[in-house]
Formats: sequence, C-alpha cells, structure tokens
Amino acid sequence: MNDAINFMNIEGLKFFGRVNASISHELKNILAIISETTGFLNDLTELAKQGKDLKLSLIESCSKSIAEEIQRGFTTIKQMNSFAHNVDVPIKETNLGDLLDLTVKLSKFLSFASTVHTPAPDQKMKPVLTCPFLLQNLIYQVLCFAYESVGPEGKVDICFNSKDDNGIHLLFSLPVTMETKDFPTEKIQKSADVLGIAITVKNSEFILWIPFSSDKITQMASLL
Amino acid sequence: MENSPKIHLLMVDDEVKFLQTITDRLKLKFFEITTATNGSDAIAAAEKGQFDVAVIDLQMPGIDGVQVLEILKKTHKYLEVIILSGHATIESAVNCTKLGAFKILEKPCDFDTFVDAIRQAYERRMRKKFEHDQLVIQEIQELALGQSPLGILRALSKMEKDEK
Repeated sequence: MNDAINFMNIEGLKFFGRVNASISHELKNILAIISETTGFLNDLTELAKQGKDLKLSLIESCSKSIAEEIQRGFTTIKQMNSFAHNVDVPIKETNLGDLLDLTVKLSKFLSFASTVHTPAPDQKMKPVLTCPFLLQNLIYQVLCFAYESVGPEGKVDICFNSKDDNGIHLLFSLPVTMETKDFPTEKIQKSADVLGIAITVKNSEFILWIPFSSDKITQMASLL
Repeated sequence: MENSPKIHLLMVDDEVKFLQTITDRLKLKFFEITTATNGSDAIAAAEKGQFDVAVIDLQMPGIDGVQVLEILKKTHKYLEVIILSGHATIESAVNCTKLGAFKILEKPCDFDTFVDAIRQAYERRMRKKFEHDQLVIQEIQELALGQSPLGILRALSKMEKDEK
C-alpha cells in the first residue's frame, strides 16, 4: 500500500503540473487575443484621428471578440478551480459523469487533442467511492493515449454502461483497431491497479470497469 | 513607412483568432502576410512563397513549432524565424536558439516589441543576403576571367541551385 501511495504522490504531482501548464497556455492565448484586439482598436482610433474612415462593423467585431475571450477565460478559470478542489477530499463518493466531463475539458487544452464525444453528465448515476484526483489522472492518461492513436483530426467516442451491479463500464471507442500490446501502458495499468479498476481492450475499444467501491479504496482511505 | 519595402511574413499559429487579430494589426503596419494554422501548411506555404521572416508558435497539432523551425532553417537559407509562444520554457528557448531562431518571444507580447523584432530579423536577413551577394559577385568576376562562356553558364546555374 505504501508503494501505491508513493506512486500516487509522484504521478499525481506530474499530472497536476501537466494540467496546470496546459491551463496557463490556454490563459496566455486568451490574454494574447484580448491584448491584440484592444491594440487593434487603438490602431483604428489613431487612424480615425488622422481622418481615415472608421468602420463600425470592425469595432463591433472587436468588442464581440473581447467579450467572447473574457467568457472563455472565466470558463477556463472555473475548470481550473474545480480541478484544484479535486484534491480537497482524497477519497469520496464521486459522480463519474461530472468527473469525465471535467477531465475531457481539461484534456482539450492539449495541442494534440482529438474531437471527443461524451455523454451529458447524469446526476442520477450511482456514485463511485474513489480517489477523484487519481481517477481523473487515469482517464486523462487514457485520453492522451487515444489522442496520440487517432491524431488531431480523429474522433474518440466515450460512453457509460451502468448495467453491472458492482460497477460502471467506461468505454472509449476509437475509429482505429488498437494493438493490444500497446495498451494499457505500464503507467496506466499501475494507476488502474491502485484504484481497483480493471482494463480490457476489444479491437477498437478501451473499457475501464470502475467498481462502486473496492477494498483497495477503503484501505487507502484509512491511510490518508 | 509606406515607402519602405514590404516585409513578407509567414505567421504560423493554431490559435485562429489570435492569428487573425495579429494579422489585421500587422497589415496596418504594411507587412505582407501569409498565415498557416499548422506545421504542414506552414512548410507548404514556405515552399510556394518567398518570405523574409517566419513567426512560429511552438505547440501545434501534428508537426510542432520546433520541427517547423528545423525544416524551414534547413530549406530556406536566409529565412529568419521568430518563435512566439505561450509555451516557451528555458529549455525550449535554448533548443530553438541552437536551431537558428532569431528571437523567442512569449505570448502575450507587447506589439511594438514584436514589430521591432520582425524588423530586426528582416535587417539581419538582408545583411546576410547582401554579404552573400557580394561573394557571388566576386565569384562571378573570377569566373569571367578564366572560363569559357559555356563554363560560366554552368557555374552560374550551379550557384543558382545552391542558393535555395
């Protein structure tokens, strides 16, 4: 169990750093757009002072663009905040739909992200007792693997199957048949083991079976 | 400013809105701009057009900025490259400098600083080209003294090929 906790700490820190770096990149892009758009407005004002015609449509499109980028910034900061608060309670009952939704959104900040289709979060879904931060790390790793497999132009479909009495199946469907030897990677398998999650690969699908609760999780909860 | 030669810029960034806005601003400064939103399109555009300076983002889907820099520096002798990225680190800055980047700027960047960097890059390109042209003229003069007309033509054709 100590090994598992050490692994969690190291991998968790790496994951935290990676996500924060991608968020800061997104925020820099947003600020760069706002900065250039306000600069463009200033340029237009200067030209108008020199007697050049000022097109109202240009002013409108600039202010619309600034408003959109501010909204994009708010959304990004909200996601960053939700992500940061995932570590507040190490083990807790978690809605998988919400967790998947946030993880996919965070992964979209990666430059190599593909198109992802996810089910809408369902509040009636039975929660799972897990470490949300580590589960997010595992799903993020699977997403990165999927993105690298299908490329930026590719598409990844994700859905849940909650017919099982003991847990939920999370299915990642890819348009390409996977080489089973490549997946799961050692790190993904280890992350899944720590959480008591089983991984199977079927042609072009990765399936994560996430238990509603597991001995590993309750044991970990007593140590944290 | 309107009478000075137009600098031909290749702007490469996967953030489409940023690319559009900065292009609009640069056009007001009389730059001639071609844009690309990924590495492959940038390399293809550089093959087709004659650019003075390329401004490249680092993190892009597919071929990333470092690879684009490496390819463009190998295939376009006098092209100067500026890296403009929100993802620059000390390691990436060192790496890009080693690969021949003229300057590494971090997003968001002050516009005047950015324009200055482009002009400096252009001046460096022109200086290098001028020095090279001087050498070519010297070579041609030497050739003209000791070669037959056909020999001169052959040597000129070889020099033209090397130029690319």
